[in-house]
Amino acid sequence: MDSSFLELIKFLPRWGNIEDLLQDEIEARYILKKGTTYMERIRSGDSNGDSEEEETRYLMCALVDRNWERIHTGHFSRVPLAIRKIYAIGCYFKIFFLLLESTSPAQRELCSGILDEAQLLGCMDDWSDLKVALMDYLDKGGSESPEPLPILVPLNRILSSCDIAQLEAPSLNEFKTKCFQPEQPTLLLNTIHHWPALEKWLDLNYLLQVAGNRTVPIEIGSNYASEEWSQQLVKIRDFLQRQFGKNKGNQEIEYLAQHELFSQIPALKRDICIPDYCTIGKEDQPGAVDIKAWLGPAGTISPMHYDPKHNLLCQVFGSKKIILAAPKDTENLYPHESEFLGNTSQIDAANLDFDSHPLVRKVKFFELLLQPGDCLYMPPKWWHYVRSEAPSFSVSFWWE
Amino acid sequence: MRLLFTGFNAFGQHEFVSGDVDSAAGFREINAPVSDQNQCTISVGWGYSAVASGRKLYLRGLLDSEPNESVTLEALDNIKALSAGDSNCLVLLQSGQLYRVQPKLNAELLAVRLESPPHPNAGTKRSIFGTAKEPQPPIVEHIACGTHINVAISSENAVYSIPSCLHQFPGRQFRVKQLECGNEHAVLLNGNGDVFTWGNGLRGQLGQAVLKVEETPQLVEALAGIKITHISAGGWHSAGISAFGDLYTWGLNCSGQLGMRVMKPGGLLKEPTVYPLPQLHDLPECGCTKSGENECAPLQVVAGSRHTLLVRACGRLWVSGWSWHGQLGKPVGSEFVDAFQALGGICLDTNTDRVLCGAWATLLYLGKR
Repeated sequence: MDSSFLELIKFLPRWGNIEDLLQDEIEARYILKKGTTYMERIRSGDSNGDSEEEETRYLMCALVDRNWERIHTGHFSRVPLAIRKIYAIGCYFKIFFLLLESTSPAQRELCSGILDEAQLLGCMDDWSDLKVALMDYLDKGGSESPEPLPILVPLNRILSSCDIAQLEAPSLNEFKTKCFQPEQPTLLLNTIHHWPALEKWLDLNYLLQVAGNRTVPIEIGSNYASEEWSQQLVKIRDFLQRQFGKNKGNQEIEYLAQHELFSQIPALKRDICIPDYCTIGKEDQPGAVDIKAWLGPAGTISPMHYDPKHNLLCQVFGSKKIILAAPKDTENLYPHESEFLGNTSQIDAANLDFDSHPLVRKVKFFELLLQPGDCLYMPPKWWHYVRSEAPSFSVSFWWE
Repeated sequence: MRLLFTGFNAFGQHEFVSGDVDSAAGFREINAPVSDQNQCTISVGWGYSAVASGRKLYLRGLLDSEPNESVTLEALDNIKALSAGDSNCLVLLQSGQLYRVQPKLNAELLAVRLESPPHPNAGTKRSIFGTAKEPQPPIVEHIACGTHINVAISSENAVYSIPSCLHQFPGRQFRVKQLECGNEHAVLLNGNGDVFTWGNGLRGQLGQAVLKVEETPQLVEALAGIKITHISAGGWHSAGISAFGDLYTWGLNCSGQLGMRVMKPGGLLKEPTVYPLPQLHDLPECGCTKSGENECAPLQVVAGSRHTLLVRACGRLWVSGWSWHGQLGKPVGSEFVDAFQALGGICLDTNTDRVLCGAWATLLYLGKR
């Protein structure tokens, strides 16, 4: 058993750390007691891959499968945190048991996928040291990418019309009085030029190296409101190859959209900074900020929709055409009736059809081009349509 | 009578009869505390099994703290039906009274008091003094439950989300033939061949075009005009068989449980995981010794959490869905099967044998021949 793996076991939860969480969960209790007990044997050097190991490994897989099912029952937002924590812990143990069985590259790939699923569905807040150590261990000696990816050429700023107010890197107070308080969408120019990301991320091989092994949810199909749209989990390296690699060909457009990439990959978080503007809240008390990544080729489209929080959309590379409409025009924008799409308009903002959507004539639309280094501030409930005009990476910050 | 089992048994929910695995199909014989005379009623939950014979109820599995725990209870009357849910097992007696019991070592049968339907089909009975008699408690005829749903249906066609009355099907002609539940939805078949669904439909399990939660039973319009003769509900999916022997499946297909392909050709991208509308299947030829289409028509369909079994009229079993815990019998060489295929080595007598599923289990009840 290699020593680096033994080092990892130090980070694994012990029974005392998780006993409280499992008070009302008899099945998880039974299985994790067996799991932690077995790991104590490994720590003290006593074990030989016996039938106890095989049985416990199976039980751990069953625990993960069972809690996957519980997480997928009912609405995701109402799944008890305890279940998501148990799922994450189960995944960690499952990974360890799989690695006890074998540490081949194929097994590490498998474990890598499990770790990422645990991140997406489970709650891993309590065990971030373990997560980082495990990610490092699993990424070592991964298969090298056959084709290097391009280094994108930074776009030169172009003169473009802008239908909303523009400010050049405003001060906090200026932002508060001119944008936040009056709920005025504003294009903030040259506001993030200090982010290392602006230079580093243009080299897609850097992204490949730091994040290539991670599994993320990708949107397929150009419009999330259409029937052909779907979401699936893919490895970032495969997504980058398909969408940015040399042989792009007839690939369907895939979009890494609205994903909390920076909690999954702490190294990338170091390349950006949360803008100070996000500290301005209703009571001047900084709350939590949701940070999401938006990465894709030219032609990705988010149909016109609104979000409930304040939004700062920051452009790292590439450019995006954005069309806005005010909350007061909501009744003229034909929102979908279904539960999922109530915040999405049925119209195609880039191809307005006044015959099927007559009320849209009354709407005042605002167009702009979001370019690298700039941020777009959007107040809550402002409708926005976004289309990438070039391979593009944006980071959004949502806060209340 | 024999009981054969395959699937998840890590908690000792089922006690194996000592002897070899029936290796042709991967099933093993299990003990059931029943005699040949008594009707045996079984319901298999995830962590425990519930078996009833006469007035006795046997629960077995991980009940309090360890595998292989068991408890025996006795009801006031013969037990007619069982439905093993995670936090409660529903127990229906021949008299129509409903009880529930927690799957624990110190379990007790607790009577379930259902509220009266708002407009009882029979007029209010009055005594000779003109005072209204206490309405009789509803006589329950069907029960089913999932992790987030508990349903009972009375002889008056009142539908209960236990204990509240959700809905009452109008008219005395309406006869409920079958009631099944998945994790969070219910499927009902009536004597006329109509299918109704309700509950959480966000994964297409209700067979309706719009994905949403339905509070009360809604007719599956896509099957209106087709006489359905058998239905089943799995974790997040549903299935139905028509009088013409056609199989329809709908809902979640993440593990091929609908018998539809999971990946697009090329193996990189997925097909849709949700099919909101019933999909008609073109099943392959059965390939059994009997000939003629009618001999092999789909007869019954049964479903677990993410797997589905089809009984064809010739007695052969066809399977699709998640197989990692052995739900589909002998190792299939992959985590799931995503097109219905025949299970070799099994030939059922469709008059005496039954197939039933637990969440991650498949049981064959082979009656006396």
